[in-house]
Amino acid sequence: MASPRGTTFRFGSRRVSVPPSRSLLSALMGSHLPILQRSIRYHRPRAPFCGVGQCTNCLIRVNGIPNVRACRYVPSDGDFVETENSWPSPAVDLLSALDVLLPGGIDTLRGFRRPAWATPLYHRVVRRLSGYGRLADPGQGSPPPVGSRHDTDVAVIGLGVAGAAALRTLQEHGANALGIERGSVEPLPGTPVLPGTAAAFLPPPVPGPAHPWRIVCVERGSRGVQVRARAVVVATGGYDAGLWFSGSDRPGVMTAEGALSMTGNGGRGAFRKAVVFGGGPRAADLLDRWGALIEAVVAPGAVSPEVSEKASALEVPLYPRTLLLAARGRRRVRAALLRSRAEGTEFAVEADAIILAHRRLPHPQLYFQAGAKMEWRHSAAAYFPTLREGTETSLPGLFASGEGAGFLGPTAVEASGVAAARQAMGMPAPAMDEGSRVDATAPNEIEGYYRELLTGRRVGGKWVICPCEDVLLSEVEEAHALGYRGIEVLKRYTGVGSGLCQGRYCLPDTLLLLARLEQRPAPEVGYITQRPPVTPWSLSAFATLPEDGEPEGPG
Amino acid sequence: MMPPSRERYHTVVVGAGIVGLFTAYHLARAGVGPVLVVDRGFLSGGASGRNGGGVRQQWETAATVRLARESVDAYRRFGGEFGYNIWFRQGGYLFLAESPNELERLRRVRTVVEREGLRSRELTRSEIPRYANGLELDGVVGGTFLQSDGTLYPFPAIWGLYETVRSLGVEVLLGAEATGVSASQGKVRGLHLATGPVATDAVVNAAGGWSSEFSRRCGLAPSNTPTRHEILATEPLKPFLDPMVVRLSDGLYFSQTMRGEIVGGLTLSHPPGTAPGMPSSARFLRAMSRALTQLVPRLATLGILRAWSGFYDDTPDGLPLIGEDPRLIGFFQANGFGGHGFMLAPASTRRVAQAVLGQPSDLDPALFGPGRFLGPPRERPVEGAQLG
Ligand SMILES: Cc1cc2nc3c(=O)[nH]c(=O)nc-3n(C[C@H](O)[C@H](O)[C@H](O)COP(=O)(O)OP(=O)(O)OC[C@H]3O[C@@H](n4cnc5c(N)ncnc54)[C@H](O)[C@@H]3O)c2cc1C
Ligand SMILES: Cc1cc2nc3c(=O)[nH]c(=O)nc-3n(C[C@H](O)[C@H](O)[C@H](O)COP(=O)(O)OP(=O)(O)OC[C@H]3O[C@@H](n4cnc5c(N)ncnc54)[C@H](O)[C@@H]3O)c2cc1C
Ligand code: FES
Repeated sequence: MASPRGTTFRFGSRRVSVPPSRSLLSALMGSHLPILQRSIRYHRPRAPFCGVGQCTNCLIRVNGIPNVRACRYVPSDGDFVETENSWPSPAVDLLSALDVLLPGGIDTLRGFRRPAWATPLYHRVVRRLSGYGRLADPGQGSPPPVGSRHDTDVAVIGLGVAGAAALRTLQEHGANALGIERGSVEPLPGTPVLPGTAAAFLPPPVPGPAHPWRIVCVERGSRGVQVRARAVVVATGGYDAGLWFSGSDRPGVMTAEGALSMTGNGGRGAFRKAVVFGGGPRAADLLDRWGALIEAVVAPGAVSPEVSEKASALEVPLYPRTLLLAARGRRRVRAALLRSRAEGTEFAVEADAIILAHRRLPHPQLYFQAGAKMEWRHSAAAYFPTLREGTETSLPGLFASGEGAGFLGPTAVEASGVAAARQAMGMPAPAMDEGSRVDATAPNEIEGYYRELLTGRRVGGKWVICPCEDVLLSEVEEAHALGYRGIEVLKRYTGVGSGLCQGRYCLPDTLLLLARLEQRPAPEVGYITQRPPVTPWSLSAFATLPEDGEPEGPG
Repeated sequence: MMPPSRERYHTVVVGAGIVGLFTAYHLARAGVGPVLVVDRGFLSGGASGRNGGGVRQQWETAATVRLARESVDAYRRFGGEFGYNIWFRQGGYLFLAESPNELERLRRVRTVVEREGLRSRELTRSEIPRYANGLELDGVVGGTFLQSDGTLYPFPAIWGLYETVRSLGVEVLLGAEATGVSASQGKVRGLHLATGPVATDAVVNAAGGWSSEFSRRCGLAPSNTPTRHEILATEPLKPFLDPMVVRLSDGLYFSQTMRGEIVGGLTLSHPPGTAPGMPSSARFLRAMSRALTQLVPRLATLGILRAWSGFYDDTPDGLPLIGEDPRLIGFFQANGFGGHGFMLAPASTRRVAQAVLGQPSDLDPALFGPGRFLGPPRERPVEGAQLG
């Protein structure tokens, strides 16, 4: 436990004291994002990217436990924190010589085959390069606490704007409800919530009539929780997408969400001069918060009047209709290389960060896991649940709300939460304005952007399109050239999307790339099967998952 | 969907998994006429893209040990021949026994294996840590270890075969479903595809977990049963574990891949079936997590990255069907590999090709012949070492 005065922990040979309840990441923040990690193949430097526990860039060892996410972990007094997968340190890693010596990457598919007698040696070397942390120290796997089970009438998954509105509505009607939230939540008097608890659907083994829905959860990363419900409101929101460019995996490139969570909350700054990429409400929000720290706003297309007003008031240069070609800088971002889409002129803007605020994507996993009917909405280039009436999905008892269901803007998001709660209680469906959802037919900006970026003259350097697995753009293109088709096969061929983020930051764009290369609509290229648990959950969480009357054990 | 380019083929192989592609490879190398491989799914969509990559030679049946040993040699040469690195790492297979009875079973296997000229080792409990790190050995009484067993990456094996057979002139049609055969006078005359018929005298059923479905569509009562098996992979760790570890009591098996992930599964009693989607269940994830954290407590905090499932194609005696089906001339079975088709494929499919070519085979039809379950029930040897 952190004492009210502060927390002191050991970081390698250093002693660090910070105010309590700060994440380990903000505790380790200097004048820049710390480089805590090296990548799995080329040992490229990596600094926090998403800030919300969903990428691979901030893995660190705490008290002998590997692969802890610094952006999520709150240190306690006496903790012992070490970096991993680098020598002598993540900032200066000798193995990164590989990255420099092999600009085209390592071909693990066809390389290292000859001479045959060297096979054991290759195996030893390549194994040593890969992997993240070392096996946990002995004693760190102490028997986990027993998990718990909750039966409820209506479960609400995700307590952001929509979920909170849903839970409030349920509470006002005196419904038997339970809220489940991955992050922290304000307690709601009278209605139980499970904070720090992430939810997923697994195939319901025994569909009982009273509680047909089985939700499996992991609480605080280690304890299994099973929730059985008659109806479920899903309100899991969305996230900021990644973007491909040369060096897009460099320290200093981060999502808007990441920038907010790493720099907000009184934390020290993650940057001093940032290039913001995006021209919509997210960019406007960033200008409001950190106008003085923003060097330029770069947008793939036009910028909103709101953004241009704010930028001109702050005297921040604005570059609409511009391609982001590359992040320059060896160890971290030093400049953003840009190309005007109209004139084709190339220029650089000095910056120590590139903040991606161009595109929001829904979290579709729970709908896929539940087996709900999904539809591709072209303007967002993403899948959303198909809604029948109001917020009801194709599956009876499963209701969709919020950004993840395609509702746009605070009013519609909140209204969808209220509607979903009412429908889950069996009340009539309030009319939902179709105009409040993501347009299914409008053109989409990102496709044209990528067409121009990827077919035009390409800037050199590594295009690491899947930073978790260090997969290069050229590898996907080569697989296509060899005749491999469909995203399922490309994923298996290149490894794209098989890392710790499970494709969150690379597959949406890979799908667009393949749609263009294969000359067919993205939905035909396929959608990656959402394999549970989607976000890595510990073995102990599943080991403690309560039983459900299914036949158990080996047979 | 594209129709095939010709009207007649020497042989049509149904299924482009490891078994179908290797069969096509042996046929093409033998220089027969045109060969067509059809698969209704995508490349690596069947069990060949869903397995644990384990390759072992420890079996109760000497003939299986021989097939496995020949396959190990083939996989050692794979990179040189097929252009892809399958990262076949001979880190050994470590079997763990928790009772004198289980140890007895392992000894029986060991006797067979040694007789075939492989050097396996029996280990006492105190010797085991030298072979595998981090195991909690309470309850383990001993084990066996064979160094030349190992693990490989299944995907590049599929890519290498796919490209090689195509370069040898084999036509591979993906997204093409075989719906049955046409036959007259007890002989295969052609195959039905969704796009229309093709003429051929030889059809190879290499449809893996769907081999029974395809046999049935061809009017042949099947002897195999598809059973769903689940498997998971964890976050990658630095290398700490060399062998594949298999525990007899519950069929728990796991190894560490080149990337550092722990990949493994265990035996659950699943209702057999071929439900689409092949989901994972809470039941498996719980049982597997319990078994793995009990044997390797230091993995408890490690994250599960993904879990998936696929089909074993099980036979009543645990041995595959290899050869011509006596009920229909020109119909060849190459299936029933249970959880071991990858490790047995290179050698088994050579015998399939021999059967297609009418060449003599060294396989005992009483053990592997597709006709062995026909007629009145008989006592027959059963392959007991089916785990892992
Ligand atoms: C900084 C910022 C600025 C924005 N600016 C605007 C703007 O100006 N205009 C606009 O229209 N929109 C804006 N948005 C988008 C806005 O956040 C969303 O419209 C709104 O938050 C959507 O509400 P929601 O309830 O759908 O999702 P969220 O509020 O994102 O809530 C989703 C919740 O679900 C939780 N969750 C997700 N998955 C799981 C799981 N598996 N298990 C348990 N819990 C889970 C998450 O932790 C989260 O708390 C902005 C967003 C941000 C972050
Ligand atoms: C979880 C799991 C773990 C395993 N672990 C191992 C292991 O460690 N070691 C090992 O050696 N083996 C293992 N196996 C078994 C091994 O994967 C299989 O035995 C082997 O892959 C079978 O190969 P196949 O080519 O016969 O079948 P598949 O790879 O399943 O290929 C069959 C193909 O036939 C196609 N098909 C089916 N019906 C039709 C039709 N009517 N028309 C056209 N095409 C059709 C399918 O689309 C499919 O692609 C495991 C299996 C599973 C499920
Ligand atoms: S920055 Fe911590 S997981 Fe992405």
